[in-house]
Order: sequence, then C-alpha cells, then structure tokens
Amino acid sequence: MKRSNLLTEYGALLALVVLFVINVVTRGASFLQIENLRNLISQNAGVGVIAIGMTFVIIAGGIDLSVGSLTAMCGAVAILLVNKLASGGMGPTLAILLASLGAIAVGAVAGLVNGAIISYGRVAAFVVTLGGLAGFRSIALVLGKGGEIRSQVQGLEDFGFGGVAIPFVKNAGGGPVMFYWSAIVFIIAALLASFILNRTRFGRYMIAVGANERAAVYSAINTQTVKLAVFGILGGLVGVAAVLEGARMNSVGTGSVGLYYELDAIAAVVIGGTSLRGGKGRIWGTVVGVLLLTLISNMITAYNIDTNWQGLVRGIVILVAVLIQRGRKENE
Amino acid sequence: MSRAKAVLYAVTGVAAVMIAGCQTGTEASGTGSVATKAGKRYKIGVSIPAADHGWTAGVKYWAEEAKKENPDVDWIIQDAKEPGEQISGLENMQTQGVDALVILATESAPLTPIAEKLHDAGILIVNVDRGFTKPVADVFVEGDNKAFGRKSAEFMVQKLGGKGKIAILEGIPCTVNTDRVNSAMDVFKANPGIQVVARDSGMWNREKAEKVTQNMLVANPKIDAIWASDDDMALGVESALKGAGRDKNIWILGGAGMKDIVKRVMDKDPLFPANITYPPSMIAFGMQTAAGMLRAGKDNSKKYIPRHVMIDVSLITPDNAKDFYFPDSIY
Repeated sequence: MKRSNLLTEYGALLALVVLFVINVVTRGASFLQIENLRNLISQNAGVGVIAIGMTFVIIAGGIDLSVGSLTAMCGAVAILLVNKLASGGMGPTLAILLASLGAIAVGAVAGLVNGAIISYGRVAAFVVTLGGLAGFRSIALVLGKGGEIRSQVQGLEDFGFGGVAIPFVKNAGGGPVMFYWSAIVFIIAALLASFILNRTRFGRYMIAVGANERAAVYSAINTQTVKLAVFGILGGLVGVAAVLEGARMNSVGTGSVGLYYELDAIAAVVIGGTSLRGGKGRIWGTVVGVLLLTLISNMITAYNIDTNWQGLVRGIVILVAVLIQRGRKENE
Repeated sequence: MSRAKAVLYAVTGVAAVMIAGCQTGTEASGTGSVATKAGKRYKIGVSIPAADHGWTAGVKYWAEEAKKENPDVDWIIQDAKEPGEQISGLENMQTQGVDALVILATESAPLTPIAEKLHDAGILIVNVDRGFTKPVADVFVEGDNKAFGRKSAEFMVQKLGGKGKIAILEGIPCTVNTDRVNSAMDVFKANPGIQVVARDSGMWNREKAEKVTQNMLVANPKIDAIWASDDDMALGVESALKGAGRDKNIWILGGAGMKDIVKRVMDKDPLFPANITYPPSMIAFGMQTAAGMLRAGKDNSKKYIPRHVMIDVSLITPDNAKDFYFPDSIY
C-alpha cells in the first residue's frame, strides 16, 4: 500500500490519534483519568448506536433524516410505558425491561414504515425521512403535551448511571467509577454490526444494493427486502438510543431530545469514511467518527473555549473527511 | 500528495483553533492572579442555555461580567442548546476538577439526575432560575415568578378598570412559565369583567409570538390588551399589531425589563404603559454566591447561606422607569 493510500484509508483514525496525543501532552493526568476516558465513550453512546445503524442505511444507498425525531418519540413511549407499568404494581426492573422493548419495537416499526415507503413506494429516502423528521417529533410533542415527560421510577435513573464498576478506581467522593451500561451497549452494537457487515451474506447484500442496485437485482438479490431491513434495524437502534438517553435524564424533553442527532450521526458516518454514495463503508470508521466528535466537545470544555467555536471545529473535521473520501474515489 | 496535505490541514486547523482558545482561556484566568485567603485558586463551572432569545443573551452577558469581577477564580462558562449537550458539558467540567457549579438548566427534569450525581461527588451546586425537580442544589436562586404573574395581572386589571378583553401569550413549558401564568390567571378569574379571549404559547420567542398574535387578531376583532409576559414576545406582538393596522386602542404588557421596552415606558409610549422586572443578572448573583461560599469554606458558609433565595420583581411605570433603565446593558 502506498503511503498516501494509507492516509486516505486511516485518515480519521490518524486525526483521532493526533488529537488524543495533543490532549495527553497538554492535559496529562487530568485527561487520562479513568472517568474522563469513560466519558469519551459514554457521552455520545446514543448518537453512536444510531450512527451504527445509519452506516448500514448509507452503505445500502439510503439516508435517514428522521432518527433525531424518532429518538424523541421512542423516548416518550419508553417513559410513558415505564410509568404505566410501575403504577400498575410491576417491579421496576421488569417494568424498565418491558418499556425498553416497547420503545425498541416502536422504533423498528417506524423504521420499517420508512423502509416500506422507500423500497415499495419508490420514493426517495431523503424525502420520506424528511417527512419522518417532522412527523415523529410532532407525535412526541403530542405525547408529552409539548413539554417534558418525567419518569416516576427511580430505577430508570439508577440504570442510566449504573454499569460495571471499574476495578481499583474510586471517584472524588470515594465511590466506585461505573463503566456505564450505555457505553457497553455502544461497544456491543459496534461489534455485532461489524460482524454482520463483514461476515454475513446480509452484509454483502447491503454493499451490493448500495453499489449498484440494478446489478444486485440481476444477481437475484431481493433488493427491496434488504432496504426494508436496514431501515428497520436503524429504527430499532434508535429505540435503544432513546432508552439510553431517557435513563440518563430520567425523563424525556419531547421538544429537545434527539435534536440534530441525524446530523451528528451522518457526520460520524462520513468522517469514518463510509461513502454517501453507498456500496462502501465500515463500522469501525463510524465509531472513530463518534469518538472524534466527542473528543472535540471534551477539549472545548477542557481548554475553556467559547462553545460557539465548536461548530467550526466540527465543520473542518467533516469537510476534510469528505476531501479524503474524494481522494479515495479517484484512486480507484 | 494533495490528500496528505488535506489531512495535515485538518489536524493543524483543529489544533490551531484549540490552541488559540487555550491561550485566550489561560490569558483570561492569568490576568490579575490574586491569591485567595486560603491561598488556593478555586475552579467554578457555569452552565447556561444557549442565547436563543434576549433574556438568555442577558444571562451570558452578566455571567461574563461576574467572571471579570472575580479574577481570583478559574471560571469555565459554557452554554448548551439542549439537555444532552448540557449534561456532557457538566461531566467534562467535573473531570476538570471544578469545586462548584452554577447551573441554569435548559430543562428542569433532564438535568436533575446529573445534578444529584455531581452533588453527591462533593461539588457545590448553585441552581439559578429554572429549578431542579428534586432539592439537590446547595443554593437555589430564582425570581419570584408567582409575584411576576400576580403583579402584572393586577396592573392590567387596574388599567382596564376591571373590564375588557385580553389575550395571553405563554412561554416555554417549565416551572417558570407555569408559576407566572397560573398566578396571573388567578387574578383574572377573580375579576369577572376581564375576559380572556385567546391564549397560546409564543415560546418566549419574537417570531413565534408574532405569528401567534396574527392568528389571535384574525379570530378576535376586539382585544383591549395583551399579556405578553416577556419582552421578546412583546416586540413580536407589536410587529403583528402594526402589520394588521391594529396598534391603536390596545396595549401590551411584556416582562423582564429589556432596556428598549423600559425606555418606551419611560417615554410614555401608549403601547407600553408598564413593564415588570425579571433580571438576567441573577446568574451573576449565583456566581458571586458560589465564589463567596468557596472562599469562606463550603461547609461553614452553608450554616448561614439560605438554601432558597427568591428575588423580588418590581412593576416598572413611567414614574420609576429611570431606576430600571441601563443603556449600557445588553438586555
């Protein structure tokens, strides 16, 4: 592999490593404390899980702009369900589990509806999911009467800040430092998705449909089912993200939860080197993209930079990622 | 080659912005480095909503003012568009080792769990304006929103002579809005001559308030006065009235003491006979409180610093408007 090829292939990873090293050098122990590193993985776990599903959709030649609004809608469903079940006398753990499954199911159904209109109705994914962007938010607002829905179940908050205790590490108050469930879910989702994309027939079908739909049809691939499936998977993952966010806040602000998640998720996918034209992509790249965006926010606080600069930094990262991608296309 | 350059530019660009920001940060905290009594420099994080209307812009302005007043403290001031972003910012401030946090929540309920967790980790929490849903703050500073609703409604009843048709504009759904609207409605209900003919939310936003008012005007040929409850919304209402040619024989009661509105009260503009204060400078009071408590010793000062501070609100009329007019203020 030529040197420049290596750069285009691993550009995003390189940027992450360089920024990481800058942080280690300038912030030292403060940056390397376990809690901070844990935050880097957990803070955008919701967006990360969505971005993983978005990678599938984009590889298969689609796009989904409705995920942020769908997060609010699934979150509203989750909190309403958990309150309803718990007030009916159900134990908190079971109530949370069932409410989570309910939210994931609602998300998957919404995703399948998107996918069905796109694949069987032959409407552009951009347009269909633009409708979802407006529609799902509206349903969330109706469910929350325009405001926030508060969980009545303390267990949900405990789940949001619970996880696996990191051994030998204590926080400032002397308590254990948790590796949050949200971070664990993010990692598991990434590993599973990576396996599906690279090691299964369905993964190869996704790539085939995104690369050249007509050729895929001629190869006897049921392209409509593949498209339906990727949108359904993304919808279900949005339900997962909604539960993670709802637990962290023990409530859902129906007007504010998931705002701009579609842009963050697409940004992470693009930074990670997945082509917006479809037919090519990688999960690990998306994970790197999510971590890069989180690291930028982290640095904004640490260096006490005016928050208003954050957008510019993100913009530079996204643009350059696209420039690198274009370079890769020319190479082929 | 060009791609290699692109990556190089990316990394240099990001690093440059970061380092530039880093320098301004250290510069700001480096000037006038005064040692505190105990000889320790305290670090305080201030987390506020992004300035989406005039009042929150005022909050940011006063936060910067309080920072200048206290150069012996390392301040981290950050704003956030939504609760998720605000929570991440607070977590990052924690790993930066802040001694205290001053929080004006984007929304009440979503910020409560993280505030509780940070409080349990030993950080002094001062909560300003929008309250948490559990008493997890060491000090809670808020304006008296019930008095805001009551005093403004009482003025309207008096000015209308106890009889007239009014429209009501509400703000973003949260405890602040609920307290204001409910207290005002109690006064209006106690006066049967007052008829509330329209009621809708303008989200404390000028454009939204203008659109809502346009619809109200179409539906109601006669409105005597509009309770706008916020000066950004009051300006939106004014545009709607002028656009419809209905800006005669009607008046608006805004709120929060925006300088442009206070000036017009002072100049006896018939559209704005009065206003009511709700100072965004309360963030500066919260910051002073946090800094003062750390200097005095957190546990010691908790013995006498009240856990709940309620800031009184005043009715502004042409007679006293000059006492509330600050031309140099941003709001």
